[in-house]
Amino acid sequence: MLELRSVTKRFGDVDAVREVSLSVPDGAFLVLLGPSGCGKTTLLRMLAGLEMPSAGQIVFDGQVVSDGDRAWAVDPARRNSGLVFQSYALWPHMTVRGNVEWPLKVAGMARPEREARVAEVLRMLGIDGLARRFPNEISGGQQQRVAIARTIAPRPGVLLFDEPLSNLDAKLRVEMRTELMRLHRATGATTVYVTHDQIEAMTMASHVAVMRAGRVEQFGTPLDLVERPETAFVATFVGTPPGNLVPVRRNGTGWVVGGRHMPLEPPADGAQALFRAETLRLEGAEGPRTLPLELAEVSTIAGRVMVTAIAPDLRLTAVTEALPAARVGETVHIGLPETPAAWFAPTGERIG
Amino acid sequence: MTQAVLDDPPLRHAAGRRRWLAPGTGLKLVVLGLLALLIVMPLLSTVLFTLTEESRGAWGDVLAGRLSRALFWQPLLNTLVIGVVVSVACVLLGGFLAWLVVMTDIPFRRTIGVMATLPFMIPSFASALAWGSLFRNGRLGGRVGWLEGMGFSVPDWLAWGMVPTLVVLSLHYFSLAFTIIAAALATVSSDLVEAAQIAGARGRRILMGIVLPVVTPALVAAGSLCFAGAVSNFATPALLGLPVRMQTLATRLYGMISVGQTARGYVIGILLVLISAAVLWAANRAVSGRRSYATITGKGGRAKRFALGRARLPLLLVAALILACATVVPVIVLFASSLAPSSAALFSNWTVHYWIGESNPAIAQGIPGIVHNPDILRAITVTLTLGVAVAGAGMALGLLAAYATARSRAGWLSATITQVSFLPLLVPGIAFGAAYIAWAGAPIGPFPALYGTFLLLVIAGTAYLVPFSVQTGRAVIQQVSGELDESARLTGAGLARRLWAITVPLAVRGLAAGGILIFVKIIRDLSLVVLLFTPTMPVMSVLAYRYASEGFTQFANAITCVILVLSVAATLLAERLQARSQPWLKS
Repeated sequence: MLELRSVTKRFGDVDAVREVSLSVPDGAFLVLLGPSGCGKTTLLRMLAGLEMPSAGQIVFDGQVVSDGDRAWAVDPARRNSGLVFQSYALWPHMTVRGNVEWPLKVAGMARPEREARVAEVLRMLGIDGLARRFPNEISGGQQQRVAIARTIAPRPGVLLFDEPLSNLDAKLRVEMRTELMRLHRATGATTVYVTHDQIEAMTMASHVAVMRAGRVEQFGTPLDLVERPETAFVATFVGTPPGNLVPVRRNGTGWVVGGRHMPLEPPADGAQALFRAETLRLEGAEGPRTLPLELAEVSTIAGRVMVTAIAPDLRLTAVTEALPAARVGETVHIGLPETPAAWFAPTGERIG
Repeated sequence: MTQAVLDDPPLRHAAGRRRWLAPGTGLKLVVLGLLALLIVMPLLSTVLFTLTEESRGAWGDVLAGRLSRALFWQPLLNTLVIGVVVSVACVLLGGFLAWLVVMTDIPFRRTIGVMATLPFMIPSFASALAWGSLFRNGRLGGRVGWLEGMGFSVPDWLAWGMVPTLVVLSLHYFSLAFTIIAAALATVSSDLVEAAQIAGARGRRILMGIVLPVVTPALVAAGSLCFAGAVSNFATPALLGLPVRMQTLATRLYGMISVGQTARGYVIGILLVLISAAVLWAANRAVSGRRSYATITGKGGRAKRFALGRARLPLLLVAALILACATVVPVIVLFASSLAPSSAALFSNWTVHYWIGESNPAIAQGIPGIVHNPDILRAITVTLTLGVAVAGAGMALGLLAAYATARSRAGWLSATITQVSFLPLLVPGIAFGAAYIAWAGAPIGPFPALYGTFLLLVIAGTAYLVPFSVQTGRAVIQQVSGELDESARLTGAGLARRLWAITVPLAVRGLAAGGILIFVKIIRDLSLVVLLFTPTMPVMSVLAYRYASEGFTQFANAITCVILVLSVAATLLAERLQARSQPWLKS
């Protein structure tokens, strides 16, 4: 079990992480998801023991390993955790074998045992043929594998990843995603994974914490986040494509969406309606629930078509069956469903 | 789910430790303590000494007393003239050569580039000695130089005093300006120039509108550093100016302390520090807002070279002339004069007596040649040992300081370490030496006085070169990214093991090069050690200076040749070390 209790980190008078509390069971795959600067890497570094929380506790398996309230922490090396850095941080003067072996040497593992373990993890990651190479002699994807091999070699109970796939090209990224999940099953280590890529989060995680400005906006399973977003931010951050958020305002005669009156019944003035892309339709002509927008992007995805249309302060994405007749730059009519998937207050929290 | 855990009974705490202080604070305190001991204490004790009851009068004597004109104001004027003229000349010479090498299609660019950095390898007194061997006239009696020997009459103004001092110092310090300006010009990528060309600008317009503004901070920095170097230079005005009673603050300081007027000497030293510091501070302030220029370089490829056209050869000749005067001629003259019994006939009657001769009462009052001269041999041993010791101590301290501050730059501790470590840059070597006499001349608590010991030379040398060693250390640490060290920390390796297994192997080239640089700086230094010198602890540069001022120029020049060869050899070694093949750097 891995728990965070009101963990807070301040740098000077900036709160990088505020009052984060959550817990995941052993063997979980926790993804910390958020835009850059949301505090997710700081949180990961506190888990690794590289930073001391300013307040709150971090608990691994019932043992406190960091206690910000008492300025007390277990050494990074004694927390039973391992961190894969975003830059991989491979030691350039050591061979692949040397990189994997050195931490075991530091830990005082006997030579025969050490060699067996190195061979085992190199095989596990499919890089046993590269053992004598130096990091600059292998590709980015291979470097990534070496970094992972080095981290799992001492069998940590908690594995930490800091945006590990962000330096790889798109194809390799998808492959490594699968590889990491296989590895997670093989080692059974509780994994904490930081990313800003919601697709990675949705595909890999057992638990996701969506972070924003140092706080956890929502904590749950990937399905929870997509089906029951608790805030407007989560609704627009997760899902492929993410949900459409449309502000609805009242004027003298009724409710206005994007300049047109709509037969909607929002719970409050200025509320935002969430429409999922798959519920929007491309209409041939103006109707009671359509918005005239300028067609901005069209792309085909797995046999369907993703259509994005814009107005000065509105951007809607719909997934439809057929290509629109209009060309980019021309006007299309996007039809809204009768009821939105959710309502959010102007401040972001869910109200219906 | 989260609520439930919070109500659990108190948790076990794993075997951890409490951190009273932010990580790295201990190391920073140690570094700061060392720096305070090495740098702040000597300077502070100098100031305090001049404020004691019996010494307080020295301030009045120097600034306003009957002798103040001779003690301070005239030397101040000379010093300022030297500083201003030399820095302007250096920026012009160095800037001209840097422009030729970096921006134009002059032939032999690479050679010019290497030659322009050479004068800094040569001790500054080498050129002054060479000047004497060439231009010395009969005014002071004794032997005349080669030109008079050839039958020319050398006027006093060319043989002694301000003019030769200005020329020699300019030819020495311009290579500093060259290095700084060339580095700045190299950041003017061809993109910048091409963008200007596309906008329709032509040669002169590009130079004035694009290139000059970008390198202005470098010009100011180069000028101010040359100023600081020139005003604190001791050897050149001492060798060329003192014989005709031209005093600068540096020579005055030396004179005061050697005749025992310590308090007055210290006061002059403090004033010299203030002048040098004020100029550096003002220059830094003038350009600090514009520094960010250097970072806007983008990807720019090879700079587009200005075609010099018909001016190529004339400009090449000018460059060759400057470089010949700054490096080739002094070296040839020094070498010849160490072989010639009379500097009036530099290239005839050569003898190796001054190198390998036994004592002979008929020659040079019986002083034996270098290889039989116990004083010189001892000086060589002491100097080399000193160089090695200071290089080792300096790099260790520099690495430690850079390591302590690189990891967490925020906080007043890091800022203080950085500022204190750059303090010696503001202090002329001779004033720093004086400060060490003030500090270590008397017993400190239970420790005996260090004056006259080898340890004092090592400490003073290390302290004086802290700015260089910290800068080198910082460059080295930056190569080893923070995450490389952090990932080693995660394995549980301690500080010493991490330094040894990760940082040092990755940084070994930089460390070796930095160490050798320090070694070279120490063995050819005169101004720092000239006051710390004692007959029991001789160093080569001071010995050369002594011989020169007593008229035994051949010995002075021979010793200087040894220093020169050592400096060049060490620098070449550093380059070789850097080029040593490292498998992880291939491809």
